[in-house]
Amino acid sequence: MSGQEKNAVSKTGVLNGKKWRKYRVIYRSVLMENLQYAANIALGFFGYFVFIFIFIKLWDYMYQEPGELIAGYSKEQMIWYVMMTEMMWFGSNASAVARQVKTDIRGGNIAYLMNKPYHYTLYILAKYTGEWSVRLPMFAGLAVVIGTVLVGPVPAFKIITVPAMVVCIILGLTINAVLQICISLLSFWIEDATPFRWLYDKLLLVVGTIFPLEIFPRTAQAFFKLTPIYPVCYGPAKLIVDFGPEKCIEILAVQALYLAAGCGLMFFIYRKGVKKLYVNGG
Amino acid sequence: MLTAVKNQVRVCMLSVKYNIMREMLNKVTFLTNVTFMILNNGSILIQWFILFRLREDIGGYTMREVILLWGLTAASFGLSHILFARVYSLPELIVSGKLDSYLVQPKSVLLGVMTSATDISAIGDLLYGVILLAAGGLGVRGFMMSLLFVVTGMIILTAFAVLLGSLSFWFVRVDMLSGQMIMGLVSFATYPDGIFRGISRFLLYFVMPVGMVVYHPVHILVRFDAGMLLTVLGYACLLSVAAAAVFYRGLRRYASSSLMEARM
Repeated sequence: MSGQEKNAVSKTGVLNGKKWRKYRVIYRSVLMENLQYAANIALGFFGYFVFIFIFIKLWDYMYQEPGELIAGYSKEQMIWYVMMTEMMWFGSNASAVARQVKTDIRGGNIAYLMNKPYHYTLYILAKYTGEWSVRLPMFAGLAVVIGTVLVGPVPAFKIITVPAMVVCIILGLTINAVLQICISLLSFWIEDATPFRWLYDKLLLVVGTIFPLEIFPRTAQAFFKLTPIYPVCYGPAKLIVDFGPEKCIEILAVQALYLAAGCGLMFFIYRKGVKKLYVNGG
Repeated sequence: MLTAVKNQVRVCMLSVKYNIMREMLNKVTFLTNVTFMILNNGSILIQWFILFRLREDIGGYTMREVILLWGLTAASFGLSHILFARVYSLPELIVSGKLDSYLVQPKSVLLGVMTSATDISAIGDLLYGVILLAAGGLGVRGFMMSLLFVVTGMIILTAFAVLLGSLSFWFVRVDMLSGQMIMGLVSFATYPDGIFRGISRFLLYFVMPVGMVVYHPVHILVRFDAGMLLTVLGYACLLSVAAAAVFYRGLRRYASSSLMEARM
Protein backbone atom coordinates (compact mmCIF):
# COMPACT_ATOMS: atom_id res chain seq x y z
CA MET A 1 0.00 0.00 0.00
CA SER A 2 1.46 3.41 -0.95
CA GLY A 3 1.88 6.33 1.44
CA GLN A 4 -1.25 7.99 0.06
CA GLU A 5 -3.28 4.84 0.58
CA LYS A 6 -1.95 4.64 4.11
CA ASN A 7 -3.15 8.20 4.63
CA ALA A 8 -6.61 7.19 3.50
CA VAL A 9 -6.84 4.13 5.73
CA SER A 10 -5.67 4.27 9.34
CA LYS A 11 -3.24 1.77 10.87
CA THR A 12 -6.02 -0.13 12.60
CA GLY A 13 -7.81 -0.57 9.31
CA VAL A 14 -10.68 1.63 10.46
CA LEU A 15 -11.39 4.49 8.11
CA ASN A 16 -10.19 7.73 9.62
CA GLY A 17 -12.84 10.47 9.30
CA LYS A 18 -10.36 13.36 9.12
CA LYS A 19 -8.45 11.78 6.27
CA TRP A 20 -11.64 11.39 4.28
CA ARG A 21 -12.69 15.01 4.72
CA LYS A 22 -10.82 16.08 1.57
CA TYR A 23 -12.78 13.56 -0.50
CA ARG A 24 -16.02 14.86 1.01
CA VAL A 25 -14.99 18.39 -0.07
CA ILE A 26 -14.25 17.15 -3.62
CA TYR A 27 -17.60 15.33 -3.64
CA ARG A 28 -19.49 18.40 -2.44
CA SER A 29 -17.84 20.78 -4.93
CA VAL A 30 -18.62 18.45 -7.88
CA LEU A 31 -22.16 17.99 -6.58
CA MET A 32 -22.71 21.78 -6.44
CA GLU A 33 -21.19 22.18 -9.90
CA ASN A 34 -23.46 19.50 -11.35
CA LEU A 35 -26.53 21.03 -9.75
CA GLN A 36 -25.83 24.16 -11.81
CA TYR A 37 -26.03 22.09 -14.99
CA ALA A 38 -29.10 20.01 -14.12
CA ALA A 39 -30.86 21.31 -17.26
CA ASN A 40 -28.02 19.97 -19.41
CA ILE A 41 -28.36 16.57 -17.76
CA ALA A 42 -32.07 16.61 -18.56
CA LEU A 43 -31.18 16.86 -22.27
CA GLY A 44 -29.91 13.28 -21.89
CA PHE A 45 -33.44 12.08 -21.15
CA PHE A 46 -34.10 11.65 -24.87
CA GLY A 47 -31.52 8.88 -25.24
CA TYR A 48 -32.89 7.04 -22.22
CA PHE A 49 -36.45 7.39 -23.47
CA VAL A 50 -35.54 6.01 -26.92
CA PHE A 51 -33.87 2.98 -25.37
CA ILE A 52 -36.73 2.24 -23.01
CA PHE A 53 -39.31 2.82 -25.73
CA ILE A 54 -37.59 0.23 -27.95
CA PHE A 55 -37.57 -2.33 -25.14
CA ILE A 56 -41.18 -1.72 -24.22
CA LYS A 57 -42.11 -2.40 -27.86
CA LEU A 58 -39.80 -5.41 -28.04
CA TRP A 59 -41.18 -7.08 -24.90
CA ASP A 60 -44.73 -6.14 -25.93
CA TYR A 61 -44.06 -8.23 -29.02
CA MET A 62 -42.32 -11.08 -27.18
CA TYR A 63 -45.09 -11.53 -24.59
CA GLN A 64 -47.96 -12.67 -26.77
CA GLU A 65 -50.32 -14.00 -24.07
CA PRO A 66 -51.55 -11.95 -21.09
CA GLY A 67 -50.02 -13.25 -17.84
CA GLU A 68 -47.28 -15.15 -19.72
CA LEU A 69 -43.96 -15.66 -17.90
CA ILE A 70 -40.54 -15.69 -19.55
CA ALA A 71 -37.73 -17.06 -17.35
CA GLY A 72 -40.04 -16.51 -14.39
CA TYR A 73 -40.64 -12.82 -15.16
CA SER A 74 -43.94 -11.22 -16.13
CA LYS A 75 -43.93 -8.59 -18.91
CA GLU A 76 -44.10 -5.76 -16.35
CA GLN A 77 -41.20 -7.20 -14.34
CA MET A 78 -39.11 -7.70 -17.47
CA ILE A 79 -39.63 -4.10 -18.65
CA TRP A 80 -39.02 -2.67 -15.17
CA TYR A 81 -35.83 -4.75 -14.97
CA VAL A 82 -34.52 -3.14 -18.17
CA MET A 83 -35.68 0.31 -17.03
CA MET A 84 -33.79 -0.01 -13.75
CA THR A 85 -30.55 -1.31 -15.26
CA GLU A 86 -30.67 1.39 -17.95
CA MET A 87 -31.48 4.01 -15.30
CA MET A 88 -28.25 3.04 -13.52
CA TRP A 89 -26.38 3.05 -16.82
CA PHE A 90 -27.60 6.46 -18.03
CA GLY A 91 -27.78 7.95 -14.52
CA SER A 92 -24.20 7.12 -13.60
CA ASN A 93 -22.35 7.80 -16.87
CA ALA A 94 -19.46 5.66 -15.63
CA SER A 95 -17.74 5.85 -19.01
CA ALA A 96 -16.92 9.49 -18.17
CA VAL A 97 -14.75 8.21 -15.30
CA ALA A 98 -12.85 5.95 -17.65
CA ARG A 99 -12.49 8.74 -20.21
CA GLN A 100 -11.07 11.11 -17.59
CA VAL A 101 -8.50 8.58 -16.33
CA LYS A 102 -7.45 7.80 -19.89
CA THR A 103 -7.17 11.50 -20.79
CA ASP A 104 -5.20 12.29 -17.62
CA ILE A 105 -2.71 9.53 -18.36
CA ARG A 106 -2.38 10.11 -22.09
CA GLY A 107 -2.27 13.88 -21.78
CA GLY A 108 0.22 13.86 -18.89
CA ASN A 109 -2.15 15.68 -16.52
CA ILE A 110 -1.69 12.79 -14.10
CA ALA A 111 1.77 14.18 -13.29
CA TYR A 112 0.10 17.16 -11.62
CA LEU A 113 -2.74 15.22 -10.03
CA MET A 114 -0.61 12.49 -8.43
CA ASN A 115 1.36 15.06 -6.42
CA LYS A 116 -1.74 16.51 -4.78
CA PRO A 117 -2.51 15.58 -1.13
CA TYR A 118 -5.01 12.94 -2.13
CA HIS A 119 -4.95 9.54 -3.75
CA TYR A 120 -5.67 9.98 -7.46
CA THR A 121 -8.07 7.03 -7.76
CA LEU A 122 -10.07 8.10 -4.69
CA TYR A 123 -10.18 11.64 -6.09
CA ILE A 124 -11.72 10.26 -9.30
CA LEU A 125 -14.20 8.16 -7.28
CA ALA A 126 -15.23 11.19 -5.17
CA LYS A 127 -15.76 13.27 -8.32
CA TYR A 128 -17.77 10.49 -9.94
CA THR A 129 -19.97 10.10 -6.85
CA GLY A 130 -20.67 13.84 -6.96
CA GLU A 131 -21.72 13.54 -10.60
CA TRP A 132 -24.11 10.62 -10.21
CA SER A 133 -25.60 12.11 -7.04
CA VAL A 134 -27.29 14.64 -9.33
CA ARG A 135 -27.82 12.52 -12.44
CA LEU A 136 -29.17 9.35 -10.89
CA PRO A 137 -32.13 10.85 -8.97
CA MET A 138 -33.15 12.71 -12.15
CA PHE A 139 -33.09 9.54 -14.23
CA ALA A 140 -34.80 7.61 -11.43
CA GLY A 141 -37.63 10.16 -11.47
CA LEU A 142 -37.93 9.85 -15.25
CA ALA A 143 -37.90 6.03 -15.05
CA VAL A 144 -40.69 6.02 -12.48
CA VAL A 145 -42.80 8.37 -14.64
CA ILE A 146 -42.22 6.42 -17.88
CA GLY A 147 -42.73 3.08 -16.16
CA THR A 148 -45.89 4.07 -14.35
CA VAL A 149 -47.45 5.67 -17.44
CA LEU A 150 -46.42 3.13 -20.10
CA VAL A 151 -46.13 -0.13 -18.15
CA GLY A 152 -47.87 0.24 -14.80
CA PRO A 153 -46.42 -0.03 -11.27
CA VAL A 154 -43.80 -2.65 -10.30
CA PRO A 155 -45.74 -5.79 -9.25
CA ALA A 156 -45.66 -6.45 -5.47
CA PHE A 157 -43.43 -3.45 -4.78
CA LYS A 158 -43.03 -2.60 -1.07
CA ILE A 159 -41.82 0.87 -0.08
CA ILE A 160 -40.12 -0.56 3.05
CA THR A 161 -37.55 -2.31 0.84
CA VAL A 162 -36.34 0.95 -0.74
CA PRO A 163 -33.38 1.58 1.67
CA ALA A 164 -31.89 -1.86 0.88
CA MET A 165 -32.35 -1.20 -2.84
CA VAL A 166 -30.65 2.21 -2.56
CA VAL A 167 -27.63 0.67 -0.77
CA CYS A 168 -27.46 -2.03 -3.42
CA ILE A 169 -27.60 0.52 -6.27
CA ILE A 170 -24.90 2.72 -4.68
CA LEU A 171 -22.61 -0.29 -4.20
CA GLY A 172 -23.27 -1.41 -7.77
CA LEU A 173 -22.36 2.01 -9.19
CA THR A 174 -19.20 2.21 -7.08
CA ILE A 175 -18.05 -1.28 -8.10
CA ASN A 176 -18.62 -0.37 -11.74
CA ALA A 177 -16.59 2.84 -11.37
CA VAL A 178 -13.74 0.99 -9.61
CA LEU A 179 -13.59 -1.60 -12.39
CA GLN A 180 -13.75 1.12 -15.08
CA ILE A 181 -10.83 2.88 -13.37
CA CYS A 182 -8.88 -0.41 -13.25
CA ILE A 183 -9.34 -0.85 -17.00
CA SER A 184 -8.45 2.78 -17.78
CA LEU A 185 -5.30 2.55 -15.66
CA LEU A 186 -4.02 0.08 -18.26
CA SER A 187 -3.30 3.25 -20.29
CA PHE A 188 -0.05 3.40 -18.29
CA TRP A 189 1.14 0.43 -20.36
CA ILE A 190 -0.80 0.71 -23.61
CA GLU A 191 -1.55 4.08 -25.13
CA ASP A 192 -5.30 3.63 -25.25
CA ALA A 193 -7.23 1.18 -23.06
CA THR A 194 -10.60 2.18 -24.57
CA PRO A 195 -11.03 -1.04 -26.59
CA PHE A 196 -10.88 -3.10 -23.37
CA ARG A 197 -13.53 -0.84 -21.87
CA TRP A 198 -15.77 -1.43 -24.91
CA LEU A 199 -15.73 -5.15 -24.22
CA TYR A 200 -16.42 -4.67 -20.50
CA ASP A 201 -19.24 -2.20 -21.27
CA LYS A 202 -20.72 -4.51 -23.86
CA LEU A 203 -20.63 -7.45 -21.45
CA LEU A 204 -22.61 -5.38 -18.96
CA LEU A 205 -24.95 -3.94 -21.59
CA VAL A 206 -25.79 -7.05 -23.56
CA VAL A 207 -25.82 -9.61 -20.79
CA GLY A 208 -26.47 -7.50 -17.71
CA THR A 209 -28.83 -4.69 -18.62
CA ILE A 210 -31.03 -6.17 -21.33
CA PHE A 211 -31.87 -9.55 -19.79
CA PRO A 212 -32.08 -10.92 -16.26
CA LEU A 213 -29.63 -13.79 -15.74
CA GLU A 214 -32.44 -16.38 -15.50
CA ILE A 215 -33.03 -16.06 -19.25
CA PHE A 216 -29.64 -17.66 -20.07
CA PRO A 217 -28.92 -21.41 -20.12
CA ARG A 218 -28.00 -22.79 -16.65
CA THR A 219 -24.27 -23.19 -17.37
CA ALA A 220 -24.05 -19.60 -18.64
CA GLN A 221 -25.95 -18.38 -15.55
CA ALA A 222 -23.35 -19.96 -13.26
CA PHE A 223 -20.57 -18.23 -15.19
CA PHE A 224 -22.27 -14.82 -15.34
CA LYS A 225 -22.88 -14.91 -11.57
CA LEU A 226 -19.10 -14.76 -11.11
CA THR A 227 -18.71 -11.73 -13.40
CA PRO A 228 -19.32 -8.04 -12.51
CA ILE A 229 -22.76 -8.38 -14.12
CA TYR A 230 -24.12 -9.85 -10.88
CA PRO A 231 -23.13 -7.07 -8.43
CA VAL A 232 -23.39 -4.17 -10.92
CA CYS A 233 -26.55 -4.84 -12.98
CA TYR A 234 -28.48 -7.93 -12.02
CA GLY A 235 -28.34 -7.56 -8.22
CA PRO A 236 -29.81 -4.05 -7.85
CA ALA A 237 -32.42 -4.54 -10.61
CA LYS A 238 -33.48 -7.96 -9.30
CA LEU A 239 -34.15 -6.50 -5.85
CA ILE A 240 -36.33 -3.79 -7.37
CA VAL A 241 -38.52 -6.09 -9.47
CA ASP A 242 -38.56 -9.14 -7.20
CA PHE A 243 -37.37 -8.35 -3.67
CA GLY A 244 -36.49 -11.16 -1.24
CA PRO A 245 -34.59 -10.80 2.09
CA GLU A 246 -32.32 -13.79 1.41
CA LYS A 247 -31.56 -12.59 -2.10
CA CYS A 248 -30.83 -9.13 -0.71
CA ILE A 249 -28.27 -10.47 1.81
CA GLU A 250 -26.64 -12.62 -0.87
CA ILE A 251 -26.34 -9.70 -3.31
CA LEU A 252 -24.97 -7.31 -0.66
CA ALA A 253 -22.37 -9.92 0.41
CA VAL A 254 -21.23 -10.41 -3.21
CA GLN A 255 -21.06 -6.63 -3.67
CA ALA A 256 -18.93 -6.21 -0.51
CA LEU A 257 -16.51 -8.87 -1.75
CA TYR A 258 -16.35 -7.35 -5.22
CA LEU A 259 -15.78 -3.84 -3.86
CA ALA A 260 -12.94 -4.98 -1.57
CA ALA A 261 -11.26 -6.98 -4.34
CA GLY A 262 -11.85 -4.20 -6.91
CA CYS A 263 -10.33 -1.50 -4.68
CA GLY A 264 -7.34 -3.73 -3.91
CA LEU A 265 -6.81 -4.28 -7.63
CA MET A 266 -7.25 -0.56 -8.38
CA PHE A 267 -4.58 0.47 -5.82
CA PHE A 268 -2.26 -2.27 -7.07
CA ILE A 269 -2.53 -1.30 -10.75
CA TYR A 270 -2.14 2.39 -9.90
CA ARG A 271 0.98 1.76 -7.80
CA LYS A 272 2.55 -0.32 -10.58
CA GLY A 273 1.39 2.12 -13.26
CA VAL A 274 2.85 5.32 -11.83
CA LYS A 275 6.27 3.65 -11.83
CA LYS A 276 5.89 3.37 -15.60
CA LEU A 277 5.02 7.05 -15.93
CA TYR A 278 7.24 8.97 -18.30
CA VAL A 279 6.53 12.68 -18.54
CA ASN A 280 7.59 14.77 -21.47
CA GLY A 281 8.45 18.35 -20.64
CA GLY A 282 6.31 21.19 -21.91
CA MET B 1 -16.97 22.18 -64.10
CA LEU B 2 -16.05 18.48 -64.33
CA THR B 3 -12.40 19.30 -63.54
CA ALA B 4 -13.46 21.31 -60.49
CA VAL B 5 -15.54 18.39 -59.20
CA LYS B 6 -12.66 16.00 -59.91
CA ASN B 7 -10.22 18.23 -58.02
CA GLN B 8 -12.62 18.55 -55.10
CA VAL B 9 -13.07 14.78 -54.86
CA ARG B 10 -9.29 14.32 -55.08
CA VAL B 11 -8.69 16.75 -52.23
CA CYS B 12 -11.34 14.99 -50.11
CA MET B 13 -9.80 11.58 -50.77
CA LEU B 14 -6.34 12.90 -49.88
CA SER B 15 -7.72 14.42 -46.68
CA VAL B 16 -9.24 11.07 -45.63
CA LYS B 17 -6.07 9.23 -46.61
CA TYR B 18 -3.89 11.49 -44.43
CA ASN B 19 -6.36 11.26 -41.55
CA ILE B 20 -6.07 7.47 -41.63
CA MET B 21 -2.27 7.58 -42.01
CA ARG B 22 -2.03 9.88 -38.98
CA GLU B 23 -4.13 7.49 -36.91
CA MET B 24 -2.03 4.54 -38.05
CA LEU B 25 1.16 6.01 -36.62
CA ASN B 26 0.70 3.84 -33.53
CA LYS B 27 0.01 0.48 -35.14
CA VAL B 28 -0.82 -1.38 -31.90
CA THR B 29 -3.48 1.17 -30.93
CA PHE B 30 -4.85 1.14 -34.48
CA LEU B 31 -5.13 -2.65 -34.62
CA THR B 32 -6.63 -3.01 -31.12
CA ASN B 33 -9.17 -0.29 -31.92
CA VAL B 34 -10.31 -2.03 -35.10
CA THR B 35 -10.23 -5.59 -33.73
CA PHE B 36 -11.98 -4.78 -30.47
CA MET B 37 -14.67 -2.80 -32.28
CA ILE B 38 -15.45 -5.92 -34.35
CA LEU B 39 -15.61 -8.04 -31.16
CA ASN B 40 -17.64 -5.34 -29.44
CA ASN B 41 -20.21 -5.34 -32.25
CA GLY B 42 -20.17 -9.12 -32.48
CA SER B 43 -21.19 -9.48 -28.82
CA ILE B 44 -24.57 -7.94 -29.66
CA LEU B 45 -25.48 -11.11 -31.56
CA ILE B 46 -25.81 -12.83 -28.14
CA GLN B 47 -28.91 -10.72 -27.55
CA TRP B 48 -30.48 -11.96 -30.76
CA PHE B 49 -29.63 -15.62 -30.13
CA ILE B 50 -31.41 -15.30 -26.78
CA LEU B 51 -34.44 -13.59 -28.30
CA PHE B 52 -34.74 -16.11 -31.14
CA ARG B 53 -34.67 -18.92 -28.55
CA LEU B 54 -37.93 -17.43 -27.25
CA ARG B 55 -39.68 -16.73 -30.58
CA GLU B 56 -39.16 -17.96 -34.12
CA ASP B 57 -39.62 -14.51 -35.61
CA ILE B 58 -39.43 -11.05 -34.11
CA GLY B 59 -41.44 -8.33 -35.80
CA GLY B 60 -41.54 -10.47 -38.95
CA TYR B 61 -37.74 -10.83 -38.99
CA THR B 62 -35.81 -14.09 -38.79
CA MET B 63 -32.15 -14.25 -37.75
CA ARG B 64 -31.14 -13.75 -41.40
CA GLU B 65 -32.99 -10.42 -41.67
CA VAL B 66 -31.59 -9.29 -38.31
CA ILE B 67 -28.08 -10.05 -39.62
CA LEU B 68 -28.79 -7.94 -42.71
CA LEU B 69 -30.22 -5.16 -40.50
CA TRP B 70 -27.09 -5.14 -38.34
CA GLY B 71 -24.80 -5.44 -41.37
CA LEU B 72 -26.33 -2.42 -43.10
CA THR B 73 -26.42 -0.30 -39.93
CA ALA B 74 -22.85 -1.09 -38.85
CA ALA B 75 -21.39 -0.66 -42.35
CA SER B 76 -23.27 2.61 -43.08
CA PHE B 77 -22.38 4.03 -39.67
CA GLY B 78 -18.77 2.90 -40.08
CA LEU B 79 -18.33 4.33 -43.58
CA SER B 80 -19.84 7.64 -42.52
CA HIS B 81 -17.48 7.87 -39.52
CA ILE B 82 -14.44 6.93 -41.63
CA LEU B 83 -15.07 9.48 -44.38
CA PHE B 84 -17.01 12.22 -42.62
CA ALA B 85 -16.44 11.89 -38.86
CA ARG B 86 -16.28 15.65 -38.38
CA VAL B 87 -19.97 16.16 -39.20
CA TYR B 88 -20.78 14.51 -35.87
CA SER B 89 -18.99 17.33 -34.04
CA LEU B 90 -20.26 20.08 -36.35
CA PRO B 91 -22.27 21.87 -33.59
CA GLU B 92 -19.12 22.22 -31.47
CA LEU B 93 -17.18 23.70 -34.43
CA ILE B 94 -19.94 26.20 -35.13
CA VAL B 95 -20.64 27.26 -31.54
CA SER B 96 -16.97 27.66 -30.62
CA GLY B 97 -16.20 29.51 -33.86
CA LYS B 98 -13.71 26.99 -35.18
CA LEU B 99 -14.86 27.09 -38.81
CA ASP B 100 -12.46 29.93 -39.68
CA SER B 101 -9.65 27.69 -40.90
CA TYR B 102 -12.03 26.00 -43.35
CA LEU B 103 -13.43 29.27 -44.70
CA VAL B 104 -10.08 30.47 -46.03
CA GLN B 105 -9.42 27.35 -48.08
CA PRO B 106 -10.09 27.50 -51.83
CA LYS B 107 -12.35 24.44 -51.70
CA SER B 108 -15.91 23.66 -50.67
CA VAL B 109 -16.29 24.61 -46.99
CA LEU B 110 -18.74 21.82 -46.23
CA LEU B 111 -16.67 19.07 -47.85
CA GLY B 112 -13.54 20.47 -46.21
CA VAL B 113 -15.16 20.26 -42.77
CA MET B 114 -16.71 16.84 -43.41
CA THR B 115 -13.48 15.15 -44.46
CA SER B 116 -11.25 16.73 -41.83
CA ALA B 117 -11.40 13.85 -39.33
CA THR B 118 -11.61 10.07 -39.29
CA ASP B 119 -12.86 7.86 -36.51
CA ILE B 120 -10.47 4.98 -36.74
CA SER B 121 -12.56 2.48 -34.75
CA ALA B 122 -15.24 2.92 -37.43
CA ILE B 123 -13.08 0.72 -39.69
CA GLY B 124 -14.07 -2.08 -37.30
CA ASP B 125 -17.74 -1.16 -37.74
CA LEU B 126 -17.41 -1.20 -41.53
CA LEU B 127 -15.58 -4.53 -41.60
CA TYR B 128 -18.09 -6.08 -39.19
CA GLY B 129 -20.99 -4.82 -41.29
CA VAL B 130 -19.54 -6.14 -44.54
CA ILE B 131 -18.80 -9.54 -42.92
CA LEU B 132 -22.43 -9.77 -41.77
CA LEU B 133 -23.73 -8.80 -45.22
CA ALA B 134 -21.51 -11.44 -46.80
CA ALA B 135 -22.87 -13.97 -44.29
CA GLY B 136 -26.45 -12.95 -45.04
CA GLY B 137 -26.82 -15.48 -47.88
CA LEU B 138 -27.63 -12.86 -50.52
CA GLY B 139 -25.62 -14.23 -53.46
CA VAL B 140 -23.25 -12.08 -55.53
CA ARG B 141 -25.95 -9.79 -56.97
CA GLY B 142 -27.64 -9.31 -53.62
CA PHE B 143 -24.31 -8.63 -51.92
CA MET B 144 -23.45 -5.95 -54.51
CA MET B 145 -26.85 -4.39 -53.95
CA SER B 146 -26.29 -4.44 -50.18
CA LEU B 147 -23.05 -2.49 -50.75
CA LEU B 148 -25.09 0.08 -52.70
CA PHE B 149 -27.36 0.39 -49.65
CA VAL B 150 -24.32 0.83 -47.41
CA VAL B 151 -23.45 3.87 -49.53
CA THR B 152 -27.02 5.27 -49.52
CA GLY B 153 -27.23 4.63 -45.76
CA MET B 154 -23.93 6.44 -45.26
CA ILE B 155 -25.16 9.40 -47.35
CA ILE B 156 -28.46 9.63 -45.45
CA LEU B 157 -26.78 9.35 -42.02
CA THR B 158 -24.19 11.98 -42.93
CA ALA B 159 -26.75 14.35 -44.45
CA PHE B 160 -28.99 13.95 -41.39
CA ALA B 161 -26.04 14.79 -39.12
CA VAL B 162 -25.18 17.87 -41.24
CA LEU B 163 -28.81 18.98 -41.14
CA LEU B 164 -29.04 18.65 -37.35
CA GLY B 165 -25.56 20.07 -36.77
CA SER B 166 -26.31 23.11 -38.95
CA LEU B 167 -29.10 24.07 -36.58
CA SER B 168 -26.28 25.32 -34.32
CA PHE B 169 -26.03 28.35 -36.62
CA TRP B 170 -29.42 29.40 -35.21
CA PHE B 171 -29.64 27.70 -31.81
CA VAL B 172 -27.11 27.09 -29.03
CA ARG B 173 -26.97 23.71 -27.22
CA VAL B 174 -28.06 21.74 -30.27
CA ASP B 175 -24.98 19.53 -29.88
CA MET B 176 -26.52 17.22 -27.29
CA LEU B 177 -29.85 16.97 -29.10
CA SER B 178 -28.06 16.32 -32.39
CA GLY B 179 -25.89 13.58 -30.85
CA GLN B 180 -28.87 11.94 -29.22
CA MET B 181 -30.95 12.02 -32.40
CA ILE B 182 -28.12 10.27 -34.28
CA MET B 183 -27.67 7.66 -31.55
CA GLY B 184 -31.45 7.26 -31.35
CA LEU B 185 -31.52 6.65 -35.10
CA VAL B 186 -28.81 4.00 -34.79
CA SER B 187 -30.59 2.36 -31.82
CA PHE B 188 -33.87 2.12 -33.73
CA ALA B 189 -32.03 0.89 -36.83
CA THR B 190 -30.86 -2.24 -35.01
CA TYR B 191 -34.38 -3.50 -34.17
CA PRO B 192 -36.97 -4.85 -36.62
CA ASP B 193 -39.53 -2.31 -37.80
CA GLY B 194 -42.28 -4.88 -37.23
CA ILE B 195 -42.23 -4.30 -33.45
CA PHE B 196 -43.13 -0.61 -33.93
CA ARG B 197 -46.69 0.35 -34.74
CA GLY B 198 -48.78 3.49 -35.13
CA ILE B 199 -47.16 6.86 -34.49
CA SER B 200 -43.71 5.40 -33.70
CA ARG B 201 -43.63 3.65 -37.07
CA PHE B 202 -44.63 6.90 -38.78
CA LEU B 203 -41.80 8.76 -36.98
CA LEU B 204 -39.22 6.14 -37.98
CA TYR B 205 -40.11 6.46 -41.65
CA PHE B 206 -40.83 10.18 -41.94
CA VAL B 207 -39.00 12.08 -39.16
CA MET B 208 -35.92 10.00 -38.31
CA PRO B 209 -34.82 8.50 -41.62
CA VAL B 210 -34.34 5.00 -40.13
CA GLY B 211 -36.71 3.52 -42.71
CA MET B 212 -34.59 4.84 -45.58
CA VAL B 213 -31.26 3.86 -44.00
CA VAL B 214 -32.07 0.24 -43.20
CA TYR B 215 -35.71 -0.90 -43.15
CA HIS B 216 -36.48 -0.33 -46.87
CA PRO B 217 -33.06 -1.70 -47.94
CA VAL B 218 -33.59 -4.91 -45.90
CA HIS B 219 -37.05 -5.35 -47.45
CA ILE B 220 -35.59 -4.80 -50.93
CA LEU B 221 -32.79 -7.30 -50.29
CA VAL B 222 -35.32 -9.90 -49.16
CA ARG B 223 -37.81 -9.16 -51.94
CA PHE B 224 -36.70 -6.84 -54.77
CA ASP B 225 -38.89 -3.81 -55.42
CA ALA B 226 -37.67 -1.32 -58.08
CA GLY B 227 -40.03 1.44 -56.87
CA MET B 228 -38.70 1.19 -53.32
CA LEU B 229 -35.11 1.20 -54.62
CA LEU B 230 -35.75 4.44 -56.54
CA THR B 231 -37.38 5.94 -53.44
CA VAL B 232 -34.26 5.22 -51.33
CA LEU B 233 -31.91 6.61 -54.01
CA GLY B 234 -34.07 9.71 -54.50
CA TYR B 235 -34.34 10.29 -50.75
CA ALA B 236 -30.55 10.09 -50.33
CA CYS B 237 -30.05 12.69 -53.09
CA LEU B 238 -32.77 15.01 -51.77
CA LEU B 239 -31.58 14.88 -48.16
CA SER B 240 -28.00 15.63 -49.25
CA VAL B 241 -29.10 18.68 -51.23
CA ALA B 242 -31.29 19.87 -48.33
CA ALA B 243 -28.45 19.39 -45.81
CA ALA B 244 -25.98 21.35 -47.97
CA ALA B 245 -28.56 24.13 -48.53
CA VAL B 246 -29.26 24.46 -44.78
CA PHE B 247 -25.52 24.45 -43.98
CA TYR B 248 -24.71 27.23 -46.45
CA ARG B 249 -27.80 29.24 -45.42
CA GLY B 250 -26.65 28.98 -41.80
CA LEU B 251 -23.04 29.78 -42.70
CA ARG B 252 -24.15 33.35 -43.51
CA ARG B 253 -24.94 33.74 -39.80
CA TYR B 254 -21.60 32.31 -38.66
CA ALA B 255 -19.55 34.54 -36.37
CA SER B 256 -15.85 33.84 -35.89
CA SER B 257 -14.37 33.58 -32.41
CA SER B 258 -11.09 35.04 -33.76
CA LEU B 259 -9.44 31.82 -32.66
CA MET B 260 -5.98 31.35 -34.14
CA GLU B 261 -5.89 27.82 -35.50
CA ALA B 262 -3.86 26.00 -38.12
CA ARG B 263 -5.01 22.93 -40.03
CA MET B 264 -2.29 20.47 -40.85
